[in-house]
Amino acid sequence: MLDLLTEMWSFTFMRRAFVATTILSASVAPVGAFLVLRRLSLAGEAMAHAITPGIVIGFVTTGLSVMSLLIGGLIAGVGVAILTAFLARRTILRSDASLASLYLIALAVGIFILSAAGSAVPLKSFLFGSILGIDDASLILVGGVATVTLISFAILLRPLIVSTCDPVFFEARTRRPWLTEQGFMLLLVLNLLAAFKTLGTLMAVGLMILPATAARYWANTITGQLVLGFVFALSSCWIGLTLSYLFPETPSGPAIVLVSGCFFLVSAVFGPLGFGRRMRKSAVSKEVPLAQIPQEERAR
Amino acid sequence: MSTVLQLRNLSLGYRDLTLFRRLSMDIESGTTLAVLGSNGSGKSTFVKMLLGLMEPLSGNLKWPMGKPREIGYLAQMTEFDRRFPLRVRDLAAMGSWRGFGLRSGLNNASRVRVETALDEVGVLDIADRPLHMLSGGQLQRTLFARVIMQDAPLILLDEPFAAVDQSTEAHLLWIIRRWQEEGRAVVLVVHDLSSVLDHCSHALLLGRQEATHGTVNDVLTPDRLVAQGYLSESQASWMFRSAPSIVEPANA
Repeated sequence: MLDLLTEMWSFTFMRRAFVATTILSASVAPVGAFLVLRRLSLAGEAMAHAITPGIVIGFVTTGLSVMSLLIGGLIAGVGVAILTAFLARRTILRSDASLASLYLIALAVGIFILSAAGSAVPLKSFLFGSILGIDDASLILVGGVATVTLISFAILLRPLIVSTCDPVFFEARTRRPWLTEQGFMLLLVLNLLAAFKTLGTLMAVGLMILPATAARYWANTITGQLVLGFVFALSSCWIGLTLSYLFPETPSGPAIVLVSGCFFLVSAVFGPLGFGRRMRKSAVSKEVPLAQIPQEERAR
Repeated sequence: MSTVLQLRNLSLGYRDLTLFRRLSMDIESGTTLAVLGSNGSGKSTFVKMLLGLMEPLSGNLKWPMGKPREIGYLAQMTEFDRRFPLRVRDLAAMGSWRGFGLRSGLNNASRVRVETALDEVGVLDIADRPLHMLSGGQLQRTLFARVIMQDAPLILLDEPFAAVDQSTEAHLLWIIRRWQEEGRAVVLVVHDLSSVLDHCSHALLLGRQEATHGTVNDVLTPDRLVAQGYLSESQASWMFRSAPSIVEPANA
């Protein structure tokens, strides 16, 4: 086993993959935490599909370069985010229905162009990621996005907490409530693009959501949520990459997301805010009088 | 007593719906104004206008002492996320949040103020408890602590007693009375004619596109309550016969 790990570490592409996903974990953890807390988990998935046509058009016109990926994806992602907000404000549709409609159109456009472009397109690595594809430019992209994300979060963290927990109070306290929302959506698109090479378009959002939902079962504070989310994301990447190396036919994206899924299931069963709480509560309820248990707990 | 806010010839509503017309009134420091009205009469909209979240259809608002940097605000809890991973002390501390930036965190003086505010509302012993474990009363007490942290000359409370028990209501009313004594102006949206009105000096009754302002005794008369659609005639005659003290506040 140790020999195998030493052998894995001797390959440059594996070292690159480990460095890229380590940085990526630090970047996607806070984005994932707020996707979950803001009840945008499915919107994150939809956005991952919505950036597809941008990436595909960039690929078809200039090849799979980091710049074409970044520019194409950003235009598609920001375009869909703005159109969604516009439809939700000006028409009867709510934002979830607007986003669902637009991402389906975007996904169909992306797959149509991808198919029309013919066999030159590596469909499997496009959808599920490839650890072989991480070059210097990809590392710079991941590093750049992580830097922007972490600096932005230092500024946006408190507004995001207030706006997520109590949106009415937040709107009463700030003149530009949309700045936080749109700033967060921009960070989401950037991180999806950074995760694209390793995880693919279908799996990119998995590294955001699953570590965050797993952390939610353990954390009672926002700091705990962010730190645990990072630990779960990082562990998923390292274990997932090793699995992907051990089983060469397995793309890295599903391997990493599968490990995240294991963290989620274990957390749901044993976490104090998952089923673990029910186990603990049934043990406690034999000793504590009913009157001492908060009303809401009793109702459950 | 000084005037915090003057409303002149104010009409409020939406594009196709006028809620009330030509309201002129002053909100004075050290007073508590009760805002009453039937569903859809514009009570919450009135509060939103005072916050600056929506413009009146016509008329204007004047701040004789200058618009305060802070307006204390407690909204109805319909959109509040009780599952957010925050502790009681974090929610109270939110009141001292001043906006975007790296330096928007708490300093030592604010931390001490959070402890004092939590003690005042009676939740200091559960300061580290997560929000999802609080009862309705404990959460409302914590939100009052957040208003204390805002330290504002004008405080707007939108139906703050909707889901709390009697002892919590009494405690929170004591805090409102203290704010009044400190010279703050309090605007209190209430849903029912109840003993809460004993703690209010003035009332604003909304309904049927009218707004009536005055002392509690002057505004909340049976005729007026029926005329503005707040009570039916039978409700009014029953209520004023069996419990006349309800609308005769002691300090009006």
